[in-house]
Formats: sequence, C-alpha cells, structure tokens
Amino acid sequence: MAPSKRALPSKEATLFRELLSLYETRQLKKGVKTADQILKKVPEHGETLCMKGLCLAQSGKREEGIELVKKGMRFDLTSHICWHVFGLIQKDEKNYEEALKSYTQALRFDKENINILRDSAQLQTQLRIYDGLVETRHTLLRLRPSLRQHWIALAVAHHLNGNLTSAKKVLEHYEYSLKNIPDYDVEHSETLLYHVRILEDLGEYAAGLSLLDVNSKSRAIVDRTAIMEFRARFLSKLRDADASNAWRALIDHNSDRYEYYRGYLATKDVDLDNLSNESRCQALAILQEFTSQLPKAVTPRRMALSFASDEQFSDLIQQYLRSGLTKGIPSLFADVKGLYTEPQKYKAIQAAAETILQENTPLEGQYSRGEPTTYLWTLCFLAQHYSYVPRAPPLQPFLSPDFERALALLSTAIAHTPTLPELYTLRARVLKRAGDLVGAASAMNEARLLDGQDRFLNTKCAKYHLRAGMVDEAIQFFGMFTKKDAANPGADLEEMQSTLYLIEAGDAEYRLGKLHLALKRYMAVDKVFHEMEDDQYDFHGYSLRKFNLNIYLNLLSWEDRLRSHPAYVTAALQASRIFVKVHDDPSLITAASSSVRLSDAEKKARKKAKKAASKAHDDKKPAAASAADDTVEATAGKDDDPDGVKLLGAADGLDRAAKLLQPLESLASDNIDAWLVIYDVAVRRKKYLQAIKALKHAKSLDGEHAELHTRLVDFKKRVSAFPQAPPPPIGPLVVASLSTLLPEEVSLETYNSLYLQRHSKCAAVVLAAARVSHSLGAPVDEVDATVFTTLADDAQLDILTASKILDLLKAVKSSRVEEYRLACLSHFPLSTVFMTQSEMSERQKQSHVEAEKLEVAP
Amino acid sequence: MNIRPAKVDDLLGMQACNLQNLPENYTLRYYLYHAMTWPSLSYVAEDHQGRIVGYILAKMEEERDEKQPIHGHVTSISVLRSYRRLGLAKKLMVQSQEAMANIYRAQFVSLHVRKSNRAALGLYKDTLGFTVKSIEKGYYADGEDAYAMELSLQQ
Repeated sequence: MAPSKRALPSKEATLFRELLSLYETRQLKKGVKTADQILKKVPEHGETLCMKGLCLAQSGKREEGIELVKKGMRFDLTSHICWHVFGLIQKDEKNYEEALKSYTQALRFDKENINILRDSAQLQTQLRIYDGLVETRHTLLRLRPSLRQHWIALAVAHHLNGNLTSAKKVLEHYEYSLKNIPDYDVEHSETLLYHVRILEDLGEYAAGLSLLDVNSKSRAIVDRTAIMEFRARFLSKLRDADASNAWRALIDHNSDRYEYYRGYLATKDVDLDNLSNESRCQALAILQEFTSQLPKAVTPRRMALSFASDEQFSDLIQQYLRSGLTKGIPSLFADVKGLYTEPQKYKAIQAAAETILQENTPLEGQYSRGEPTTYLWTLCFLAQHYSYVPRAPPLQPFLSPDFERALALLSTAIAHTPTLPELYTLRARVLKRAGDLVGAASAMNEARLLDGQDRFLNTKCAKYHLRAGMVDEAIQFFGMFTKKDAANPGADLEEMQSTLYLIEAGDAEYRLGKLHLALKRYMAVDKVFHEMEDDQYDFHGYSLRKFNLNIYLNLLSWEDRLRSHPAYVTAALQASRIFVKVHDDPSLITAASSSVRLSDAEKKARKKAKKAASKAHDDKKPAAASAADDTVEATAGKDDDPDGVKLLGAADGLDRAAKLLQPLESLASDNIDAWLVIYDVAVRRKKYLQAIKALKHAKSLDGEHAELHTRLVDFKKRVSAFPQAPPPPIGPLVVASLSTLLPEEVSLETYNSLYLQRHSKCAAVVLAAARVSHSLGAPVDEVDATVFTTLADDAQLDILTASKILDLLKAVKSSRVEEYRLACLSHFPLSTVFMTQSEMSERQKQSHVEAEKLEVAP
Repeated sequence: MNIRPAKVDDLLGMQACNLQNLPENYTLRYYLYHAMTWPSLSYVAEDHQGRIVGYILAKMEEERDEKQPIHGHVTSISVLRSYRRLGLAKKLMVQSQEAMANIYRAQFVSLHVRKSNRAALGLYKDTLGFTVKSIEKGYYADGEDAYAMELSLQQ
C-alpha cells in the first residue's frame, strides 16, 4: 500500500494522535471509540485498525483484537506503527522471538524510534542476544545522550556481552560527566557499587579499593554492609595487613556468618578447604578465641566442631550438646548430623548424649535430679541419632538404624510430656524411615492436632498423607490453610507456585498408578518455571530505571540457571518417564480415561443425590443462588483437561519430554538419572546420536550404575534389531560408539551375568540383572532365583528396591510373588509398603478411627 | 546457622519457607520486586546444608504521605518451626533494620499481623520490641483485622 493512503485528513489525523496518547495512558475503551470515529471516514486505514485491535486485545477481547491487527497489517505493511503493534501482541503472548522480528521490521521503517528501540532491547535481553543488545543500546545513547539511564544501560549491555573493560569505560565516562549529585542518593550509590563490582571481576583490586574508599568517605556509597564486604575482599586479595581487621569488623557486625570467619582465617594463612595439622590447630585456637569473645554467636562454636578431632572433639561436642539440649533447640540433631562423617565422631556424639541423658533421667521418688526439659530434648536427640540412616561410607557399613530403639525413646518422651508436637513429628519421621507410611501420617496428624494454628505442622501432616497414598485426606488438610475462594486447595497451592505440593502430589498419584494425574502435576511444575522465566521481563526496564544493577545482573544469571532447581529436575524426569511409559504401552491411556469416566460418574451420582436431598430439604431456594452455582461451575471448567487424560494421550508426548529434558543437558549434567531418561526419550525418537551421547555421559558419571546397565543392553538390542543400518554418517557412528560402550565379543547374557557377579550383594544390581535376563528371554524361574538372592542376610536390601523387585515379579507373572511379599513383610516389620490393598485400607481405616478419637478428645 | 543478605538464588527458598509456615503467600514475582527494588533489606537464615530455614522480606514504605517520616516495612518474616529457639527471627530483624536505617535513613519500621495470630504477636511485641499503633479493619483478604505495629529505629 502506498504511503499516501496512510495520510489521514486533518481532523482524523488529530484523532489518531489522540488515539496514540489514549493508548499510552491506558484509556483503552476511549481508544476504541476514537478509532471507530476515524474508521467511519477511512475504513481501510491500517494503523488505526491495528491500534483499535491493540486496545481491544489488551482490554480482554484478545481474539477480536488480534483479528483486527492482522487486518490492519494487510492494509499497511510498511508502517512502523503496524509492526510495533504486532510485536506488542506477540510479546503479550510471550512469543519473544517473533516479537523481536516484528520490532526489527518496525525499525526498518523508523530507524530512530526510541520506544521501539527500547522495547527491542528488552526483548534482546530476554532472548540473550547480547551483541544485538550492545548495538541497540549504542543507538539509544547516541540518540539521547542526556539520559543517565542510557549510559548505564550500555555498560550493562557490554557486561552481559562479556566485555567488562568496555563496561568500565562507559561507567568512567558517565561518572566524569555527572554534575550535582544530591546527598544520600541511593541510585548513585548503587551505580558506584556496580562499578566497584566490575573492578573486582576484572581483578583490579587496588583500583576497586580506592574507588570504594574515596566514595565511602564522601558518603556517595551508603550501603555499609556492602562497603565492608568489598573492602575485606579487596584487602585480602591485595594481602594487605589491614585485611584481618576488615574481616574482624564484619564479624562484629554480624557474628553468624561463615564467610566472615573464613575470610578472617584466610588472612592468618588458614585455608579451611586445605588444612594441614598445623593450620588445623591454628584454626581451632582462633575459633576458640571468638567463642569466648562473642558469647552469643553460635557459628564459631559450630565451626570448631568440624575441625576438631579426638579428645578435643569429645570436649567440644559435650559443651555444644549440653548447651543446645538445655535450651531445648529442636534443630540440634539436624545441625550436628553433618559431623557424622567418621565413626569416631559418631561414637563421641552418642557417648556425650547418653551421658547427658543419664544425668537428667529422673529417678523414682527423686524429682530434684536433672532438668525435665533437658531430659526430654535429650530423648529426642537420641531418637534421631539411633534412627539416623547413613547415606555414604564410611558410616554406611559401620552402622544401621535402630528404629525400635528410637521409637522406644520417643514413647518415653511422649509419656513424660504428651503435649509437645515435636515428639510426634519425630515419631512420624522414624516411622516413615522404617517404612510405616500410614503410621507416620497419623503420628503427624497427632502433632498437627496439638497446634491447629500452625501451618508448618499442617503442611507436614498433608505431605505425610500424600506419602502414604492418602491423597483425598491430604488435600483436606492442605485446605485448612489455602484460600477459601480458590476452586480447590490444590488450585491455590498451584497458583502460589508450591512446587512442594505439586511434586509430592505428583509422586503420590504416580505411586497409585494414576499416571494422568501425576503428569498433570508435574507439568504444572513446568508451568511454574515458565512463569518464573517470564517474570524477569519487566525488570529489563525497571532495574535500569532504579539503577539496582548488581542485583539485576544476578537475576539474569539466576534465570539462566533456573531449571537446575531440584523441583524442576524431578518434575521433568518424572513427566518424561510417564511419556515413555505411555509410548511403550498405549493401553495406559485408555485405562486412564476409563478410570476418570468411572470416577466422574461416581461424582455425578453423588452430586445428584446431594441435589435431590437439598431440594427435598428446601424447595424455595432463591433462583439467584442456583444461577450463581452455575457460573462457578462454568469458570472452574476453564481447564478442558483437569485430569490430565488428554495430556497423557498427547500424540507428541515424546517431543514434549525432549523439550522438558533439554535444559537438563547443561544444567544437570552431573545427574546420572537425567542422562538415563534423556537416553530413554532419545532412543524412542530415533535420535541415535543423542542417545549415544547420553549413554556416554552416564557412563562417565558411574559406569557400574544399575539403571545404566539396563540401558546399555537395551541399546545394543535395538541396534542389532535394525532391519538395516541407518545411513552414514549416523550408521557407522552408532556402530563405532556401541563398541566403546559394551564389549563386542561377549554375548549379552554373559555380559549380564558378569555384571551381576561383580555386585551380587547389591539389590539394585540384582534387580537390573534380573530385568535384563528377562528381556533376553530367560525363563521366569531363573528371574525368580536371581531376585530371591536379595533376601539373603548379607544382601543390602532397602524398601524402595524391594518394592521394585515385587513389581518386576508381578510383571513377569512369577508364581512366587506372594512368597517374596511375605518375605519383605518380615524383612521390614514396620513397613506398610508391602501390604495388600485390603491390608492397607484396613490400616488406613484404623488410623482414621484413631484420628477421630483424637479430634473428639478434649 | 548462617545469617546473610538474601541473594536472588535464595528467593525460591524463601518462598518455600513462607508457604510451609504462613497463611499469607506470594508468587515469586513479589519476592523479585522486593529484591530488585531494595536489594539490601531482605535477609535469610540458612542451615549447614544451605537450606533456607528463615527469612525476612522487607521494603521501604512507598505509599507514605509527605508528613510521615521515612520508614521501612516488614512484608513477611518467618522461621521454620523446626528451627525455633535459636533467636533467628531477632537476628534477621536486627540486620534488616540496620540496613533500613543505614541506606534509606528509615526512622522506624512497621508491620502488620493478624489479630488472631497470638504466637506472632508475642514474637513482635516481646522478642522484637514492636508496639501496636492501630487496628486496620479488614486488612486481610478474608476480612480479618490487622494490628499495625511499629518499632522506632532511633537510639
């Protein structure tokens, strides 16, 4: 369209300017009216159509608005306004890539438009296109050098682009040109601190120190903590004699911060990560000194425990435990648990706690002896101590948890003081570790009932019910603290981005075999992380206006690492595992949808009955109320797949899984589980190079890992089953890599039994080997014989692996399922994991009755 | 136990701690807004393994009328129940207050608490030295009243 058709008659031109300013001031309804006035006269005016569309789209009429924008675009493809509007619409939809393309188009027709340039810069930051960002920021500075913000923005762009020296130069230039800075200007202070940080990152410590000193003396930098911290670091780097004083000042400022003690010790040539016998003694002497100078500080005392040994450790731990148990500090055990790295320390802690217990145990008829609360907390401490499950050598073979003893100690404590919730939360934890998930849940409920106002206890109680597979009960508990106007407790927790709820609920549904619901929860976690990625967008403009640059740069680097968060990793892996399961066995989809239909029918029937009942009860219910009910239902129905059945059956499930896993390749690269799932998805998508990369990576992390073993065999089987080799270069590459992963000359059967022989006492290995031999066509009794070796006295069997073995036996239709189950029941006497459905519901009913009794009790 | 200024990396831990402990919850965006606007006012307590077990989320009051002196506001403070009796709340509060006074020249600090929340009220009054200034009717979304409390920062 020719530009001449863009020109409006003078009255309409005025209206159009009005329309633009109405949009700027967010008067969208008036904007639409003004646009209509123009369109009456010039119905095919592209820019007006676009602006009207934008106003509509941003005032809730999205689809209608977008239609109009597209129509407007067709009338005027060379207008920067049309392209800008289109870009805004795409940005609103979080389609940042396309939005940036539109902005680039818009800039072709109006090269120096400040608004469009600024929006482009934000998109470039969001998309991490840093070289382009530098260019845009340059242009903006050239156009408006008088704006302070444009200087800062260019420095930040250089910084992000990896060019600290240029960032520094821009800042120097900027500071030089500044005039009339008001006193106590926090923005200026933050800018200077940014400059100091750049000097630190560049290793220019002397320059950094002098910039810091000059500007803190003149009070241009006002953040005292930041000044002191930079100063101490600079002086240390410069090996200045004043460095220890600087750290000492920080310790006086905040005596509960490890880093400060670390910094102080380093100035005395004590490197805590690399201690010699001599420097260890020195460290202890210094920490001892701090302990006596700062009686309220816990940190130096606790730090000393990490470095002391032998008798000195015994002495220090005595004092430490005694003080903690006298004060009744509930976290004492969690605090010292980190010291359970060597048997001597473990024994010393046990001896110290047992001594304290003895001293405070009340004797029959002799009430004056010891402190009752010290006695109580020592019982708690020892219960945690005896139920401690060591996770790694050297303690792992050295001791095994004694749950019975822990429970006995807690029973004594509960008999002594039945009203302390902590005793029940501890009892719950011990039961959970012993595998009694139902008992643990009801113990947690007892704790909750002792302090109904406390959300912490409530959350724990709900979580423990999820662990026990009691999802409905858990949701009811959660609901005691969620918003009453939310559609349901889960919806509120999801909106509040509770990944704890989503993961625990997902895991619970997964264990119950409700894959659709599990997937729904896991994918909700992905959504939460999407939101958090989008959250940064507004700060690309905001933080520069506020001059809070250090924290803004930290935000960007944090966002880049966001998906390394354990909640995301867990959700991505679990969701992918479900997509893989469904791919391998599509009958799971139909099973899920029929189970949903069934429970829907149940719900409807229940509702019908309820309605009938209430109708009978009150026939004169006002019409308005029932209308309101309908609207509630209509809005709640927004999610057209509330049970995740459609999600489960998605045709592109594997592609979705690949997308979920993609960030993990760089962000969880030391997580072997991630690589195993990446393999599972890649090999099914026929991405063989990616599959090989995953196997190689997993192998480099732990070549003997049980789950890796099954994958290696799986891969070789798949490759040998190829009707023809994939074409080069992939085919030859696959063959070549395979020979580096598995020995070529050995049969898979031999390979498998050699692996089993190497780790025959490890239950996870036995399980993996059994799976593999089944997949290689071994008869069921052979599989049986293999897995039954895990019941031997010297085999290391844990509850989780045992239940997986049970699943395998069921899957291969073994005749010895029941035999193995009963063996597990006696192997793990407290555990509820191996109970049958009916035994389990009996247990749950029982705990219901107990809970009701408690509720009724005064 | 480690007490230190909150970093961006801590915000999810603070959010998790808040959700587990308190009935007033916020999406991450609100935590980000605090950190990006007043980067030195919020503090965290972390345990030996680096888990956030307590936090103070604080800001400067923006909607104050001209006559009122500059002051800070505690949006949320909490310590996991299992980490009580270590004096963490007090330590967090002291660090944050000092930053408010030092960086922004705050004269006092304010906060709101549910009228029914006796445990929190006790903490603010007895441990932290706040006093009740007024009652704000229907302050909370569910209609409950709040006590508006204050603590002077001028020694």
